[in-house]
Amino acid sequence: MDDVDPTPTRVYPCPTVSEIEGAMKKVLEGSHGVAEAVRLAKVKVISAYPITPQTHIVERLSDFCADGSLPARFLRVESEHSALAALIGAASAGVRTFTATSSQGLALMHELLHWASGARLPIVMAEVNRALAPGWNIWTDQTDSLAQRDTGWMQLYCETGQEVLDTTLQAFWLAEAVNLPVMVILDAFFLSHTYEPVDIPAQEDADRFLPAYQPRFMLDTANPCAFGQLAPPNIYMEMRYSIQQAMDMVLNRFGEMEEQFVDVFGRCYGAVEPVQCEDAEIILVTSGTITSTCRQLLQELRAKGERAGLLKVKLFRPFPTEAIRQSLGKAQKVAVVDRNCSFGAGGIFAQEIRAALCNLSDGPQVYSYVAGLGGRDVTTDLLDEIYRQTKKQDCCPVESIWMGLREVSYAT
Amino acid sequence: MAEDVTMKTTPLFISQSYLTTESNKTGSWRFLRPRYAEKTAPCSAACPAGEDIGRVEMLTAQGLFKEGWETILRENPFPAVCGRVCFHPCERVCNRGEFDEAIAIHNLERFLADTASRYELKPELEVLASKKQKIAVVGAGPSGLAAAHFLTRLGYKCEVYEAASEPGGVLRWGIPSYRLPVKVLRNEIELIKSVGFSIECGRRLSKNFLREAGERYDAVFLGCGYAKIPQMKIPGEDLPVVADGLSFLESISRGENLQVKGLVAIIGGGNTAIDVARSVLRVGGKPVLIYRRRREDMPAFDDEIAMALEEGVDLRELRTVTRIERSGSEYLLTLQQVEVAYLGADGRACVEPVPHKTETLRVEKVFKAIGLQALQDWYNPPDEDSGSLRLANSVLIHANGGPAVVYGGDLTNDVKSVVHAVASGKEAAIALDVFFKEGLEAIPVRMSQCVVGMGPSLSMEIYVKGPRCQRSSHIVLYEEINADYFQLSPRIVEPRLLREERIQSFAEIDLKISANLAIKEAERCFNCGLCNQCDNCRLFCPDLAVKKDSESHGRHIDYDYCKGCGICVVECPRNAMALQEEN
Repeated sequence: MDDVDPTPTRVYPCPTVSEIEGAMKKVLEGSHGVAEAVRLAKVKVISAYPITPQTHIVERLSDFCADGSLPARFLRVESEHSALAALIGAASAGVRTFTATSSQGLALMHELLHWASGARLPIVMAEVNRALAPGWNIWTDQTDSLAQRDTGWMQLYCETGQEVLDTTLQAFWLAEAVNLPVMVILDAFFLSHTYEPVDIPAQEDADRFLPAYQPRFMLDTANPCAFGQLAPPNIYMEMRYSIQQAMDMVLNRFGEMEEQFVDVFGRCYGAVEPVQCEDAEIILVTSGTITSTCRQLLQELRAKGERAGLLKVKLFRPFPTEAIRQSLGKAQKVAVVDRNCSFGAGGIFAQEIRAALCNLSDGPQVYSYVAGLGGRDVTTDLLDEIYRQTKKQDCCPVESIWMGLREVSYAT
Repeated sequence: MAEDVTMKTTPLFISQSYLTTESNKTGSWRFLRPRYAEKTAPCSAACPAGEDIGRVEMLTAQGLFKEGWETILRENPFPAVCGRVCFHPCERVCNRGEFDEAIAIHNLERFLADTASRYELKPELEVLASKKQKIAVVGAGPSGLAAAHFLTRLGYKCEVYEAASEPGGVLRWGIPSYRLPVKVLRNEIELIKSVGFSIECGRRLSKNFLREAGERYDAVFLGCGYAKIPQMKIPGEDLPVVADGLSFLESISRGENLQVKGLVAIIGGGNTAIDVARSVLRVGGKPVLIYRRRREDMPAFDDEIAMALEEGVDLRELRTVTRIERSGSEYLLTLQQVEVAYLGADGRACVEPVPHKTETLRVEKVFKAIGLQALQDWYNPPDEDSGSLRLANSVLIHANGGPAVVYGGDLTNDVKSVVHAVASGKEAAIALDVFFKEGLEAIPVRMSQCVVGMGPSLSMEIYVKGPRCQRSSHIVLYEEINADYFQLSPRIVEPRLLREERIQSFAEIDLKISANLAIKEAERCFNCGLCNQCDNCRLFCPDLAVKKDSESHGRHIDYDYCKGCGICVVECPRNAMALQEEN
């Protein structure tokens, strides 16, 4: 991957509160931010099956379809598997499509996740991170989406309500640019059910950023064809390589997309966002809403004279290796906070970051922390504890360190 | 890799083919073959007249009321009558009954007939080319009229003789107008006649008629029914206070203004006894029904008994009348209490007196309604077997080169009902048609070819080789219906006069239902074994092997592409398809 064109060096600032207040904004639930973006994207077919904490998204969309503010076909189905199957059909017919799901629902879609990317259909999905059962848990946890990291879908992790809305709009741009599907990922409740002041773009602006969809291929009854036939060994590998190439291309097109987004809306987020990483000795790596908590901690640490930094990872697939190397390469230690776990291996972001940094000469040590599973709060105190442990320990353990575990007794 | 990611065009390499897949035929590896296979609905087999009920309800649900009515008429010329008075054995076997509640088949039958009458519709019924044979029909009751109607449609000339002043038999003189209004009956008889036969009323034939009939007729149908109540052989039976129940019903039917006061005893347990009791109630009396066995042994239909009790008829079971005597201005009945000794082979109780257990009942009037008989002995089929053919609902005699004589109606039927009388008329018509064309011996085989399901109900439409003959005789079971396609919905509640309103007059008790309700009720029907063009087979076929066409089924299976997966058969809600092994 060394010769891959690096992600853009330009780093865009996160919008400040005053910038948001200056815009035409509304207090909006995160779920409804997704729905507004789907409306602005003029999606033609939506299909979804309800599951907490995603349901508010499609409820609002079905309202839009019913009241005519979104002239789309809303297909009711009996399962998430069918929801995605329906969209694969619709997207093959050359229209913009959207679905939303969470946890068990995403797991049920697994087979078709591969199909959607293999068929090169630019489907956009809102994925609300929720823990997998059993035991039943509806709270936030990233294991559901990260378990699908090899399905050929782009993955974008969001931090704020505004970012959720903006990223959903951006997702259509990216998906259609490279013909691959996108998951816009948001934390259960912390984002999906939290109200924040959000700028809802005007339709003209949305149209300027995201023009009408021009499919590169589609079913046409006048010129009938079939998709997805047998691909024997002499051709299958080239098809897979073409997916890999398209994913690699995203790293370039992401910067191009954000430039256009800035031109229209004056804000953007970056594939990764380094905060005070230039001179940092220890950098905390986060994704999702833990990032916001960490921003606060960072201010406190800096005020105490600590040389701490923060790296927010937004784009997880394709993995922005080069940007991560640039942001983390000079630090002594990196502490990755994972609200997920690959059992038997540990925190998933940490694994990927270790892999990205392992061939650097004199790269930082990467500490892996698992925290906040199943929606448990990750507070500034907990993040501070992670920072302290990282600073104190000279020998970096291979395995993940589980933070905040309680003493429990259970039958064996 | 570097050159790939900087290129301007999106790397997009997918499998896409413009070649047709039509060359990929199934070949020889299919081992199951689906096919359209309409079957027999349980209701139609249970209907003694073999009405094509599943199809009638399908047409009704589609708003095709005239076609639905004509579909009944092909098998039973009495829908207005049977929709009202039939004991509807069809509803007892309705598969929908296992799901929620049986279809209200009789209400829908009546609705179709009433709608046809309201709009003065004329049925379009096929009448076959005329034949040379001529048939005399004796008695214009339901069996005689049905025989004449079906024989006329088969191309024979019929002449009907009726002793009474008006046709209808038991329908006109026996069944009270609160169950069957005279206007409805007259209208239906006019339609039945309109296929082309006449009725000579007021003509009572003598026994000589049968001897001389051969000179003018090729066959005779006798459907004379019951007209006489036998002696009970108890003391006091001949007192003027004891009257014949049938005559009482007839007087009311003639429109005589009878008045009855006080307690009135009715002796018997059949439909006539019930009709007498309920009529007594309507002319001012207090009826007490005296029956020698238990309620469940009564030959009267359950619904009728229930309605009678609801209206206030007092039922005394397990009592026999042993004596009737005068006591002042009233009469004293001595009732002997009896008990069940054992149950007979038919499940009905056989009784014996309980010693010294008698009671008396003071009444003002007594009606006998037991053990009905034919008015004259020659109405009954002769006992000897030579030259006779005993069928399910009739007896055909052909002896000594004379005309064939068919005995039908109540006098030959085990179950004395209107629809069984219709069945015997139809059976006689088919039997005579076969007899004239192929002789006596051919009758059983030909009959077996036009039974509905396992029989004994016959279908005229199957006999004349109509589309119905393509169905298999397999009677659809509830388990064979794909009930997932049906939603629970309650059966319509039959609108009726209130109990208080009923006993004031002879006005019809059961009220009309709206077209809207009729369609809703008909839509509940599973149409067991019949295709209603729902198109599921085509929609579910994963190989697009079900093709639409203009044939009778509306679609066919293209076996070049059918893989034999059987999805079409499973997803057929009504079991109108079958899956068979490839040879």
